[in-house]
This record gives sequence, C-alpha cells and structure tokens, in this order.
Amino acid sequence: MLINSKSRNHPKKSIKIFFTLLGILMVNTIVVGQDSYTLNGKITDKDNGETLFGASVFLKDTNIGVVTNEYGFYSITAPKGNYVLVISYMGYLDINQEVQLDKNQKLDFEAEEYTTRLDEIVVTAEQSERISLKKPEMSIAKLNIKTVKQMPVVLGEVDIIKSIQLLPGVTNNGEGSSGFNVRGGAVDQNLVLLDEAIIYNTSHLLGFFSVFNADAIKDMKLYKGGIPARFGGRASSVLDIRQKDGNSKNFSLTGGIGAISSRLAAEGPMFKDKGSFLVAGRGSYAHLLLKAAGEKNSAYFYDLNLKTNYNLNENNRLFLSGYFGRDAFDFGDSFNSSYGNLSGNLRWNHIFNDRLFSNLSLIYSKYDYDLGIEIEEFEWISSINNYNLKYDLAYYVNDKFKLDFGASGIYYDFDPGQVRPTSETSAINPLSLDRKKALESAAYIDAEHKLTDKLTAQYGLRYSVFNRLGGQAMVDYANDQPVVYNSTLGIYQRGTEIGETDFKKGETIKSYGNLEPRVSLAYQLNDFSSVKAGYSRVAQYIHLLSNTTSVTPLDVWTPSGQFIEPQLSDQYALGYFRNFLDKTYSLEVEAYYKTISNRIDYIDGSDLIGNNTIETEILNGESRAYGLEFLVRKTEGRLTGWLAYTLSKSEQRTPGGNAGGPGINDGKWYNTPFDRTHDLSLTGAYQLNDKWSFGTNLVFQTGRPVTYPNGQYEYEGLSIASYSDRNSDRLPAYHRLDVSATYIPNKRPDKRWKGEWVFSIYNLYNRKNAAAISFGQNVETGANQATRVAIFGMVPSVTYNFKF
Amino acid sequence: MKTLFKTAILFLTLSIISCEDVIDVDVQTAPSRLTVEASLDWEKGTAGNEQTIKLSMSTAYFDTTTNTAVTGASVRVTNDSNGSEFIFVDQGNGEYSTSSFVPVIDQSYTLEIQYDGETYSASETMMSVTDITEINQSREDGFDDEALEVNIFFTDPEEEDNYYLFRFQEQGDLLPDFEDLDDEFVNGNEIPWYYEKDDDDDTEEFVPGDIIDIALYGISEDYYNYIRILIEQSGGVDLFGTIPVALKGNCINPTNPDNYAHGYFRLTQVVRASYEFE
Repeated sequence: MLINSKSRNHPKKSIKIFFTLLGILMVNTIVVGQDSYTLNGKITDKDNGETLFGASVFLKDTNIGVVTNEYGFYSITAPKGNYVLVISYMGYLDINQEVQLDKNQKLDFEAEEYTTRLDEIVVTAEQSERISLKKPEMSIAKLNIKTVKQMPVVLGEVDIIKSIQLLPGVTNNGEGSSGFNVRGGAVDQNLVLLDEAIIYNTSHLLGFFSVFNADAIKDMKLYKGGIPARFGGRASSVLDIRQKDGNSKNFSLTGGIGAISSRLAAEGPMFKDKGSFLVAGRGSYAHLLLKAAGEKNSAYFYDLNLKTNYNLNENNRLFLSGYFGRDAFDFGDSFNSSYGNLSGNLRWNHIFNDRLFSNLSLIYSKYDYDLGIEIEEFEWISSINNYNLKYDLAYYVNDKFKLDFGASGIYYDFDPGQVRPTSETSAINPLSLDRKKALESAAYIDAEHKLTDKLTAQYGLRYSVFNRLGGQAMVDYANDQPVVYNSTLGIYQRGTEIGETDFKKGETIKSYGNLEPRVSLAYQLNDFSSVKAGYSRVAQYIHLLSNTTSVTPLDVWTPSGQFIEPQLSDQYALGYFRNFLDKTYSLEVEAYYKTISNRIDYIDGSDLIGNNTIETEILNGESRAYGLEFLVRKTEGRLTGWLAYTLSKSEQRTPGGNAGGPGINDGKWYNTPFDRTHDLSLTGAYQLNDKWSFGTNLVFQTGRPVTYPNGQYEYEGLSIASYSDRNSDRLPAYHRLDVSATYIPNKRPDKRWKGEWVFSIYNLYNRKNAAAISFGQNVETGANQATRVAIFGMVPSVTYNFKF
Repeated sequence: MKTLFKTAILFLTLSIISCEDVIDVDVQTAPSRLTVEASLDWEKGTAGNEQTIKLSMSTAYFDTTTNTAVTGASVRVTNDSNGSEFIFVDQGNGEYSTSSFVPVIDQSYTLEIQYDGETYSASETMMSVTDITEINQSREDGFDDEALEVNIFFTDPEEEDNYYLFRFQEQGDLLPDFEDLDDEFVNGNEIPWYYEKDDDDDTEEFVPGDIIDIALYGISEDYYNYIRILIEQSGGVDLFGTIPVALKGNCINPTNPDNYAHGYFRLTQVVRASYEFE
C-alpha cells in the first residue's frame, strides 16, 4: 500500500512542473518569424498512389525537416530563402527539388519505388526501420510489411503478430496462445488498432494465425513505451496498424495460395480517379479436406478487409475502412463455436491551412463469440461493442515546434454472457448476465520540440476520464468486501451480499480521472549516435478476465467500476542509439522500468464463467517489470536482418488488501506468466540473385512460469496433486529454427503477372516445445505422470503468391 | 454446465494439437502433510451407522511408496446439537471405523483428530440428496454420438441451492471418475446426466456387458467449492486450463494453521446404482 500511495503522489507534483514548463516553452516558440514561409503537401507512391507515412521531408544543408503523418501530409516552415527540398523514403528514389521560399506554397510529390536490380541491392527496402537519431521517439518497433513477408512462417501464412515477437521486449506464450506480451505486460495491456479501430482478439485459430492479412496492410508501428499522448487506454503498448488505401492509379490483384488458406486482394481507382478502393479476403480451407476425409470435427477462419477513400477537394478527403473476421469450430453434433472481430471507421481529413491538419474519425468495433453446446441444447453468447468519436489535429507551428492535440470519447457496451436453451427439452434455464456500460473520454496535447540543434524533446499530457454508467443493479457487500479472507480455513471466499443498489440508465456508478504525462528527450551525441530518455504514464480502464494459463477466445472483458480500479502504468526508459559502418549497421540499447498499479489476480479456485459478480473472485495487486534490450540490425546489402536480445523480469504482488489475509503467495512478489529471463531472436534474409532469396529465424526463450505439483495424497481412490505457489516453476526453454526460400520465376518487368513460390520449414529440427505440461495419473497403472503438450513439430509448407 | 464450457475450450485446443507425450519433469517437494479422507456417506435406505475415516501422509509427487497409512491417531466425530460422540477405532491400516454413527440430515458435526501431538478439526453439515428416477443407455446423447453412454435422471429441488457429486466407475477399472454440478443453471429441472468413455490410448468405449457403478451425492456448497477444484486439477491442467492452486480443505489445525491437513470432512447422503450395458 505504501508503494502505491507514493507512486500516486509523485506524478501530481511532476504534472505541475510539467505544466509550468509547457507554458514557458510554448510562449517562447509559438512566435513565428515574420519572414518565414510554409511548404505543405502530400507524398504518395508514383505507382499506386498510396500515401507514404513516415517519409522524411527536409531542407538540404539545414536542420529543418519533418516526417509525413499517417495520411502522407507534411508541413515545413523555414525562413525566406532558396533551398533544396529532399524527400526520402524506404526503398524509394530520393526526390531533390529546388524551392524558392518567398511565399507559402503547396507541393505534392510522387515518389518512385526503387526497382531492385541485383547490382543495386545497396539501397534496401527497410530504410523506414532505420533508427532516427534525432527524433525523441524510442521504445518503438517498426517493421516494414516487405520485411515481414520475407520471414519464414508456419504454414506459409505471413503473420504480423509473430514477426513483432522477433523484436526485443516482445514475447508470447508460445504456439497456440493468443496475443502477445510487451515488456512483461499482459495480453490485455496492448492497444491493438487497425485503422484506429480497437481489435480485441488478434488471433485466428487460438494464436496459430493473426487476424491481419498482410496484403491489406500498409504499415505498422509498435510502441513498447514512450507512447505519444494521442494514444491511451492500455498499460503496456500500442500496436498501430494501418490498412492500404487502395491503388489509385491502376487496377491490381494480389493473392496467394497456401496449404491452409488462400488470399485475394483487389484494388484500384474509383470515382473518376478521385478515390480508390481495396477489398481483401482470406480464408482457410483445410477443414474442407478434413470433411472430405470423413473427419467430423473442423476448424476454419476467414476475414475480409475493406477500404475506400474519396478526395472531395485538395483540402478534404474521406476514408471508409472495415474489417470482418471470424473463426469457426465444429465438433460433430456436440459443440460448435465461432468468434471474431468486426470494425468500421469513417474518417474525414481536413486541411485547415498549410500548417494545420485535422482528422475526424467515427469508429465502431465489436468482438463477440458464441458457443453452442448441442448435447445440452443451449448456446452461450457474449460480446463487447464500442463506439468511438475522435478528433485529432496537428499544428506545424514552426521549424522547431509541432503540436498534436485532440479529444476522443469511447462508449462501451459489454455483454458478458447470455445463456439460451435451444430446444424445449433443454435442462438449461435461460440466463442473462448484467450488461455493463461505460464511457471513456480523453483530451490530449503533445509537442515535438527542437530545443537546440542537438536536443529534441517530445512532451505531452493526456487527461482521461472513465465513467462506469448505470442501467444495472450493483451488489452491496458487508463491509464493502466482495472477497473475504476466511481465517479459519485459510482461504478467500466471496463476501456477504447485503443488498443491491439500482443505478438508472445514464447515472454514473463510479468515475475515474487520470492525468497522464508523457515526456521523451533525444540528445544527439554526434553524427552517428544519440541518447534518449523517456517517461510515460498510461491509464487502462478495461480488463480482460482470464484465470487460465493462456488467454482464450472465450475470455470476457470487464470495465473498471466500484471494485475494479483502473490499471496505471509508469514507465521509465533510457536508450543509446548508434549507426556504424556507414549506416550499414545500427545498434539500439534500451533499459526500462515499469510499474503497474491495480493489476488484478484471481483468488484460488476463482470461477469466472457465467459470473455476474466478478469482484468476488479477484484481488487487487500490482506488477513491475524491468529489462535491458539489445537490437543490432544490418539494413543494407544482400544479407539483412537483426539480432535481438532481452534480459528481463516481470513480477506481480497481490496482497490481501481490503479482503484481509496474506494475499496470493503470502503477499510476496511472484513471476507473472509473461516473465522471460532471456529472449533471443536472430532473423536473417539473404538475396542470392534475381530468382532466389532465403530467410531464417532462430528463437530462444526461457520457459514460461507455471505451477507444478509439490506432492501427492490419496483421496477417494485417486492420487491428488498438491500444487506449489503460483508460477513458481517453469516450462522447459522454448527454441526453434525456421528457414524459407523464395523463388521468383521469369522476373520480367514488362509482364504484369508476377508470381513467386515460398517454400518454408517451421521448426526445422523438430523441437517439441512444451505448450503446457499436465500432471495426472496413468489410467492403467495409477502412477503419476507428466504429459507434455507440444503443438507444432516440424512443419514444411509451400505457398504461391501472385500480383497482377 | 460450467464444466461443459471448459470442455469446449479444451476441445478447441485439442482440435489443433498435434502431439502429446509423457516426459520426465523435476518438481518441488513440499513437507509431508496429514491427509484426511473423512467421507461419511449415508446410503439412502440404510442405517448409515457403519463409517470409516482414512488417514495417510502426503508424499513427493512422483513417489511410488504405497504404504502411507497413518496409525496411532485418535479420531472422533461429535453431533454439534446433542453432543453425542462417535469414536472411530484405529484398524491399524490407516482406517478408523465405527458402527454406531447416527446420521441426521441438516445436522452439523465436528471431527477431531489427534495425531503426533497436533490437533486437527473440521465442521460440516450432513446434506440430503434427491433420488435417481431413471437410468438408461443411448448412443446419440453423449459427446460422441456413436459411443454408448449411460444416462441418469433426477429432479433438482427448486426451493434450495443444490450441489451434486457424481462418481462413476466401470467394474474392473482402476480409477473412478468424478463429476460435479451446481444447480445454478438448471434449478428445479429434471436433469439428465450422461457418462461416456472415450476411445483413446488409455480408455475404451463402453460395450454391451460392461457394468458401471454410479453414485450421486448431495454435497454442501463448501464441499462443492473444494471438490470442483480437485476434480478440475486431477484431470491435469492443459493449455487453457485454470492455473492450478494449492487446494485447502476444511481440516484445520487451530493451534498451527500452516500445518493444516489435506482432504475433507464431508457428510453426504448418497444414492448408488449399477447399470449393465445391453
């Protein structure tokens, strides 16, 4: 408790200081010189008209430069004069243009992609992944879709979520587990955005594939820390994924045929060249083969991505994007289940003037599942819906100062579960758990500020408010204790219900407000190295309830309220960044320390299924994680790739608190399920010639913390295992090697049809990595035994990809 | 019902799991602890006077010692209302028996054990059980619609919360199978309950001629909360299983709480039946 109150008091002080500083800085910098002028415009790809995000636009031989935003927009302000404007972007030819800056002007550019001929593989397609020494942004993992596509993957399915796990600080629970863990954080602490819409479950088929179809994705960025003030709502990370806008120049088709699934994407210009569209679909069909072979059980997935945009005029553009994905399982006549995400986003880009850009978004997203249990004649459904209105503005004040600000409101509607009998004869009674509603609103301001030639700062503040709304009755407990420690039996039990308080629709049950300061600094030591430091605080108001060893698609989200408080994370990071050997190699070293208050854990024997009063199953605790990350990349040449290593610790502590008693594991610190002492990945791509290229991954991870038996006793004719403290054992270490080869036949630039074959072998040396180890009695001998569940052995696969 | 929910998750996993094997694992070993199997089960229609309590010591998880019996303890059960005492006599093999027990529905009892200078105690109430109204067999009702299953039927009393424990054991099988039920989702209904065996590496489906022993126990909410976790954990904890926990029963050591006993003091009414598959 002491630690909690300390960490709560100290940000208040720093927020005060922060505001004072912000005031001083803004007064000093918002003054734009009389004889300064502004250039603005949009950078697009010459071939397909896609806007380029993160292209750098700068004035040669000056310190003045910016990068384009998510919509390809840039704005650059400089004193009157003659300059050479340089535009550079990953794998594209640099653009050099002389500009006479004597008035404000609008200049749009089309960048041309570098066509890689063998003797020219000096410039690589990964410049965007190069570190930026000057920008204060740190703790960011960027991967180019091209790089992702080069990596060997299981069953030939390109997978964004698996690729980011090869970067330092990102892990998951191994095969067959959904989601990912960032810097010792939980799966529900990642904000995953697809075109700004929240995606609640990132996995198909329980983690075997991700829900993101790489053919529809333009770029992605993972913020492991140093999260800019425009994002909020999740304690550990933000994965910001943007879909392609669609080719605005030509109609084109891309696709692939693989062992498990196939893909097809169509894109092209629309509305008389005033817009474009993209439609991408993907589906698995292995189940059809199984059905044909007489197998009654089946599992499959499909998804659909949509995007279209329309240019109203040069200052106004509309975008509409959507995603729909679903998984379905069918076990003969016994069970069936389906689940998936649905999202849609309508956006309006408006350019007020050459220095003020805005975007308004109206976003809907939903995750739901249904489970039909035919043998018992009932079905179970559950969903989370949210509606999000968001307005973001970017103000390019002058060459030293850029301001981002905006506001957002998210309305949540949680349907934790409904049980419906599916026949007259069903023995199951209908049941509806209480629907929960909440409103999460926020406003933010964020500045990027060049303090000196060497020192750049990014500082911002987000204020978020969460209102748990009525329309339901809340149970009241004796002494306000939903969980009580029974000191006689030494166990936690549900508290005594003493009544109910009815909250009317629209009434606030409980509200929380949090100031979330974010600061980072970059100091450039010389032309090839810099140091960066950052602090960020993020509040998380909704939580995924899961007391199982891995997150499942049937887990339910719940909002903060009277008994579940928002999680608050405070993260400090320090980094050293360096390019060497003429920028062929880069090195990134980062250390982080993160604390999260109000991290819940579950009492022994907690039962979350169909439970209307989740507060009776949980205890409030805290968690902390710290680590050291190394990343060495080679970004040029025939051989590219990286070596990532993370040394880290992730722990939590759950004292009895209000419930009394010692808490979980006697209130001591214990490993979170995401603690990995060592995490090493080596990823390489080698371009042999025009036709052949090769890829490889090597992964090593310390085993996941689990709970093993520490004894046995005889009871009712069975040998019963007694278990040790929570998470006090570990699975064996996880490691594997994957390889792939890509063959491009007849690469002729004049031919529209371009095809490639991808051959890959996942887990080359057939390591049986334990996804879980289960303890029980042998049915015939009665002896205790440990059974390892391994998911993928060696998996070879072939995929054919094409572009037309 | 909740079990089915969990089973569904398990099946989602199984559908894509490719390999299971038995391996050697190093586990921790906790100090040995007294284990109490005080299951005072009163079969409906009998006097219920013959009762046995078993005491043993826990061992290391992979230990194969068979003799863990505890002898020399003194074991006694008291009726909390009238104070009548039932002394369980040491049989020298870890079993302690009486033939004078008087079971009373809804009556609370206290167990006291003295062993090795320590005193253990537990309190529990005797629960009633509803009758099995019908037993039949089918193929299409269970999980696998080609395998034989036995179905038992009983009517849940509507006016109260009821908790059930099922015990199934095919004659000739080494280990019994336990299942549990909370009437939360089925209150007041006629409940059909099936039991089926899978055809896999370890077990075989039922065939005509097999005889299955069935027991239906009415249990207390506290015991349900205990046995539910025990059943779930004894089946092994798979990838999507609940994180296993150190399970504590109701046999406490008032003077030295950390030295509690494993096991449980339960008082149940039970209906038993056997069914031969045709």
